[in-house]
Amino acid sequence: MSLSRCWRRALRMTAVRLRVRVRCDSSVSSAAGPVDTIYALSSGQGRCGVAVVRVSGPAAGGALRSVAGLSRALPAPRTALLRSILNPQTNEVLDRGLVLWFPGPHSFTGEDIAEFHIHGGPAVINGVLQALGSLPGLRPAEAGEFTQRAFHAGKLDLTEVEGLGDLIHAETEAQRRQALRQMAGDLGQLYNDWSQRLKRCLAHVEAFIDFSEGDLIEDGVLNQVDLDVPQLQMEIENHLCDERRGERLRSGVQVVIAGSTNVGKSSLFNILCQRPAAIVSPIAGTTRDIVETSLDIGGFPVLLSDTAGLRDTGDCVEKEGVRRARHMVELADVTLVLVDSTQLPQEPPMVSGFLREYLMNVLPSGNNYKQQRLLILNKIDLLPKEHISAIQNVLTQTSDLAPVCILSCHSREGLERFLTLLQDRLKTLCGDPLAGSPSLTQTRHRAHLQNCVEALNQYYQYRNVDLALAAEGLRLGLSSLGRITGKVGAEEILDVIFRDFCIGK
Amino acid sequence: MLPVRRLLAQPRFPSFSPARSSSNSSHKRYDVIVVGGGHAGTEAAAAATRIGAETLLITQKIQTIGALSCNPSMGGIGKGHLVKEVDALDGLMGRAGDYAGVHFSILNRRKGPAVWGPRAQLDRSRYKEFIQSELLNMPRLTVIEGSVEGLLVSAADPEQPGKHRVTGVRMADGGDKILCSSVVLTTGTFLSGSLFMGRTTSPGGRMGEAPSCAGLSHSLKEVLGLKLGRLKTGTPPRIIRETVNFSLTQLQLPDPQPTPFSFINTHTHCKPEEQIPCHLTVTTPGVDRVVRESLPVNSHVQQDTKGPRYCPSIESRVLRFPGRQHQVWLEPEGLNSDLIYPQGLSMTMPPEMQLRLIREIPALSQAEIHTPGYGVQYDFVCPTQLFPWLQLKSVQGLFLAGQINGTTGYEEAAAQGLWAGVNAGRTALSLPPLSLSRTESYIGVLIDDLVVHGVTEPYRMFTSRAEFRTSLRPDNADLRLTPKGREEIGCVSQHRYQEAVRVQQGLTEALSTLNSISLSPPCWREKLSDVGISENKSTLISGEEMLLYTDVSFSMLASTFPDLLSPYLEFAERIKIEAVYRPHCEKQQREMERMREEESLSLPPDFDYFSQQVSLSNEVREILDRARPSTLGAAMRLKGVTPAATVHLLNYVTKTDRKTRGK
Repeated sequence: MSLSRCWRRALRMTAVRLRVRVRCDSSVSSAAGPVDTIYALSSGQGRCGVAVVRVSGPAAGGALRSVAGLSRALPAPRTALLRSILNPQTNEVLDRGLVLWFPGPHSFTGEDIAEFHIHGGPAVINGVLQALGSLPGLRPAEAGEFTQRAFHAGKLDLTEVEGLGDLIHAETEAQRRQALRQMAGDLGQLYNDWSQRLKRCLAHVEAFIDFSEGDLIEDGVLNQVDLDVPQLQMEIENHLCDERRGERLRSGVQVVIAGSTNVGKSSLFNILCQRPAAIVSPIAGTTRDIVETSLDIGGFPVLLSDTAGLRDTGDCVEKEGVRRARHMVELADVTLVLVDSTQLPQEPPMVSGFLREYLMNVLPSGNNYKQQRLLILNKIDLLPKEHISAIQNVLTQTSDLAPVCILSCHSREGLERFLTLLQDRLKTLCGDPLAGSPSLTQTRHRAHLQNCVEALNQYYQYRNVDLALAAEGLRLGLSSLGRITGKVGAEEILDVIFRDFCIGK
Repeated sequence: MLPVRRLLAQPRFPSFSPARSSSNSSHKRYDVIVVGGGHAGTEAAAAATRIGAETLLITQKIQTIGALSCNPSMGGIGKGHLVKEVDALDGLMGRAGDYAGVHFSILNRRKGPAVWGPRAQLDRSRYKEFIQSELLNMPRLTVIEGSVEGLLVSAADPEQPGKHRVTGVRMADGGDKILCSSVVLTTGTFLSGSLFMGRTTSPGGRMGEAPSCAGLSHSLKEVLGLKLGRLKTGTPPRIIRETVNFSLTQLQLPDPQPTPFSFINTHTHCKPEEQIPCHLTVTTPGVDRVVRESLPVNSHVQQDTKGPRYCPSIESRVLRFPGRQHQVWLEPEGLNSDLIYPQGLSMTMPPEMQLRLIREIPALSQAEIHTPGYGVQYDFVCPTQLFPWLQLKSVQGLFLAGQINGTTGYEEAAAQGLWAGVNAGRTALSLPPLSLSRTESYIGVLIDDLVVHGVTEPYRMFTSRAEFRTSLRPDNADLRLTPKGREEIGCVSQHRYQEAVRVQQGLTEALSTLNSISLSPPCWREKLSDVGISENKSTLISGEEMLLYTDVSFSMLASTFPDLLSPYLEFAERIKIEAVYRPHCEKQQREMERMREEESLSLPPDFDYFSQQVSLSNEVREILDRARPSTLGAAMRLKGVTPAATVHLLNYVTKTDRKTRGK
């Protein structure tokens, strides 16, 4: 055996031995190197009686034991067991449900997996997720991480792998939008502020490490960091303890109606809520602000928004309305793009070009994937039948637009087909457990903040002994915060250093 | 700074005169030709010969091989890591430093072993002497004087990626063609270099030497179609030692016991008591005034070419941070040199103003300038055009190292030179090229940063660039690289390898012996009464765990358990560091393994990112097409490449892998 491998193996063996000693009672997976244990809600939301929470990784067995209150043995593999689900910190009973134990490698991810089948209410789900998050070595799963682990363990066939990229795209997109919604408010400002301050602390410590001693740096640099780090840590801890912390969590798939003025957006809105929630008038620019309502469509929770018609306007109130409308579209899970079909070009071949341009105007970011928008041609009651079929003909030959519905809010013609299509979309979206679930985003944020606070302890521990290890604590803290606010790279740290200090050598 | 020697100037000699061997050097075919004899070139030539390649080093003047063109020092924070790694791969630099050093110190001594910065002031002539005697006595290496005018280029080997293939070099002045399999270019600041002093500009890469021939620039730009950029740097005036009033400065002493750079040296050439000090002084408001007055006659400062932010000229320091005192280090140029190198006073104003400026500093109020400072602007080849083994993606057999890749500093140049030499040699001998990972070395970090992100200013190493700083320490560079250097790379001698093996075994044994000692807290308190073991502690504590206490050293434990531990006393400091850092390194293991895994998945260099085989957004396609990352790991570090995109790429790579394996 090669020498370097010898050395590495020796180190690793010791590492494994150490781990075995620490958790001698848990079954340690054979994988080399420490692996995180991840957890997530893996069933969809909406009107569901049962929710499934899955835990995968070496600490899954331990988690199962503490949350299901099993003192010693694990349940027989792949056999359902009815248990009280506890919060191990408080011993409070959260729910009564089924637990299952799939020891690796015979599991979806090839690792040890524990599953909790619990009641589907948000309070129960949140409680269980938070209980899991409080256990050492557990963290919320990243987008697509279960599938990714299954892939690495060789548990997926090629066709499943094909879908993996799309799945991760969908999940990261959903998370991004969800995070955006929460980050838009004060909370976002708070997190960003922390991240900025921690970045500055790290940059100053790094400057002191990489330059000081005869180079430049005033001795007082670290004094400021010594004040800032505990202050920051205290603020984050207070935030984590503050029970009123959350902004109002709004559950549901965010569906936004958008389009030019006077195309019938508010009419469609009213039809969907089955009451005249929005004012409808023939005057262009009637809706100026976002009108929002929570709905249940086909059993799925929906947050439906009506927006101001998009047009250039001199009216400053309406201008603001248009800005808000565009912002809303950015955050939407599904956008219903409404078109007045009487405004379509007379020549049917021109129609697809017109619609493409129209879509570009409503969704300029191009971020929205095809499946996240529906194109709705309204007011077809005002068109002759043969013209409609000509348009339909053209559209069946154009595949790159978006799914199209032809309907009339006035005569209610085509409405059934539209609702079916919309329900299909909602079903797909709600089947994805990460989309539109603010509580999950919140759990994730809390876990990252908790990690950040813990990492900062390393700063004090080593501040006077080993500044490199103290800085490592700040780095880990910043990278935890970065999972909420965006990654901070080495170049950005250097930018702060060169901005704040005059480097000599 | 101007660390890399110039080499591409018109020859001083009417026809190049071979210094060693080879009246027929021009008719012989070499495995590797290295152009340039600076820090990159010398390491490249030495590394290629260690690999086993028949190598030719072409330099302008043999007597300037190994010259330190700018500062008379090496190492420091981050840079010291590079020196240790070059040494661990059996390069020249560390041993040369141990031979030439006249003032050794370890910077950051109080800040933790991961960021210690071994550094030395050097005697210029001793450094040159060492490098020259090494190179001129190296088997398989021929050194000739001459100037390269252009590259011989032919059609690419269709089996390999790339548009062209280099087959040799053409010497200047109607000189011969010399054929080879690989060429390493290390032209420093001489690629279309121009010198600036005051308002005058002249072509050249270093004061007092002729400019390089336009031919090579032409070869790179027009024939090979490479993308070039421009950077600037500068050097301070040299001051006559006896005109300095040292009584007005602060004395800076070296470490009482010098620590050698090289893992195979137990002591330095210079005896502890023979070391010489440095002196520190500061600028005055008068300096600010002269700088501002000089601006209208200082064309270098007015140019917007990018210079380094961390090694700025006194002009840019004053302009960016006015009204401050700036430090000036007065460094000896050698044991017997009459000159002082004023670190921190790099400047490009006219010579008479340079004199006025330095005389504004009290200690220099009577000082005389020997050679004025000046600035240089030079072309570099955008390094994103390189593979991680430092070969140009579009030109088979052509390797680049040093300032030509946009870096600054002797150590950065040497590190790349070594790696380019290794791979030029391997390629010539039909061995597969290799890359070093960010997870195992600062050299890997340096090269990865260059080839993935490119440069916007001269690139210098900092410890904060290494995400695995805790694991990549100067003390363990031999454990990280020497075994691999022998077993996988082939650039390490048997002698050095055996030493690394001995150290490795010693450390492993010492740590397991420490772990075999396990005592209860009261027992430890009895044996080591001064150590504050917490009263709450009730479990057994191993010897290794005891080393986690700041005030417990290995020698204390060895005197408590002399039979068990005294055999390992020579490793005392390293054992302590290993014990303290082990828990932190283990935390990084998982991420390091993941990165290694990602880096082991290579992306085909000619991959068509616009093809429909992989589903990627147009934005990501463009980023990937522009950067052409060599591995999945490199792709993931590019800004704008999403997790979804990496999974699609991963799928593609795994699929092609399976297909090729199926064949």
